[in-house]
Amino acid sequence: MIFRYLKFGIICVSMVLPTTKVFALDNSTATAKQVVEKFQADLISVMKNGKQLGYAGRYSNLENSVTNSHDLPKIARVIVGKEWEKLSGDQQKKLEDLIIRLSISSYAHNFKDYAGESFSYDSEEETTRGGILIHSHLNIVNDKPVKFDYMLKETGTSWRIINIVANGVSDLALKRSEYTSILQQEGFDSLVSKINDKINDYSKL
Amino acid sequence: MNNNPYRFVINLPLKLILTLTVSSVFYLNGCATSKTVENEKDPYEQFNRSAFKFNDKVDGYLAKPISDGYRYITPQFVQTGVYNFYNNLKNVNVVINDALQAKFSQGAQDTGRLAINSTLGLVGIFDVAKNIGWEQNEEDFDQTLATWGVPTGSYLVIPILGPTTVRGVPGAAFDTAANPATYIGGAVNVVSLINTRANAEGALKFIDEAALDPYIFTRESFLQWRNNLATDGKSQASYGIDLDLESEESTPMKEIKK
Repeated sequence: MIFRYLKFGIICVSMVLPTTKVFALDNSTATAKQVVEKFQADLISVMKNGKQLGYAGRYSNLENSVTNSHDLPKIARVIVGKEWEKLSGDQQKKLEDLIIRLSISSYAHNFKDYAGESFSYDSEEETTRGGILIHSHLNIVNDKPVKFDYMLKETGTSWRIINIVANGVSDLALKRSEYTSILQQEGFDSLVSKINDKINDYSKL
Repeated sequence: MNNNPYRFVINLPLKLILTLTVSSVFYLNGCATSKTVENEKDPYEQFNRSAFKFNDKVDGYLAKPISDGYRYITPQFVQTGVYNFYNNLKNVNVVINDALQAKFSQGAQDTGRLAINSTLGLVGIFDVAKNIGWEQNEEDFDQTLATWGVPTGSYLVIPILGPTTVRGVPGAAFDTAANPATYIGGAVNVVSLINTRANAEGALKFIDEAALDPYIFTRESFLQWRNNLATDGKSQASYGIDLDLESEESTPMKEIKK
């Protein structure tokens, strides 16, 4: 996923300004860039109020933001690769629900502090299969910026994030390797158990 | 310290340095499977998993307790100074590899960085160059070999030393030989290792929390991260999974049994 060789000494873009614009947009008409910027703004907002909100508050605040900006059902299919076809309908639905809960839990657990971070948009490009890649970076006080690339695909009439690549490390590829391996070696029930454990851990840590 | 996932990414290089020097710290759950699915990047997975478990034990019983003690008794500014000192020495490697990769402009800046931090920065304790906008570049001999067209080779986990690749082995040997810290002395190197382990704590904690299978999580992030470094962030390999989406999209969810 992320990010090297970019030099930014100054935070160029405040997330507040794009946020106020994007919030007013109908999600179905938002551009890919606007979808990413709104999601990033929501994250920063939750981080700023992380302690007051607590885990449950952060989860609640991010639930709509994550589900409206990510195509989580598609992500659930992609990260199990060809194993998806081997799962029953019940298993597919269960896995999809778990991936959605895990994603929101992960954000709620990890985005609980704020230390002056902000996102900046760099550029965007179309992919060969009709997707859009948004290049951005995270500015961190007294540290190197981190490069974030968001891959979006059009779902119905709206753009949704399907992958985040940070400094060259793909979240989707990483999860896909993990999940397919567990499915192949240990089976569906073990994967479900591990995901449930993570969700529970996130709510307690 | 901020615990958001981005911190993992930021600390990832430290974690990788750590795992190449001391060991890796990961949960064992998910690692103890006897069955492994052959992976073309990881044909020695069974051995590697055993080495990974061994390294985890070494870290849990030795490196982490020492690191925790170091972090407890050492003020943050001392930890930062120690980190800066060793990082500055590593810049000798960076400059050499800049030249070997014909990155002359970057090499000039990295040479200036080394000179400024070694003098104004009091032998590297203070990162003065960073304050004037000269960020640290990451170059090593493994990247140089990649630039010269040497393939990555299989993924390896070496007991005590941690994850690497077939190409990374000679790369690490060259880097060790070219790093002045190697010749300073045993006690100094021990401090370096402890400090590196201490700086990686946040990243390791993130892996503990996020990974369903820490072995695979580490392998995939390591290989992708190294590839990104070797290509100076220009590789599209990380996006390649997008190419698979078409087939996934055409596979609808099955009907749910009532």
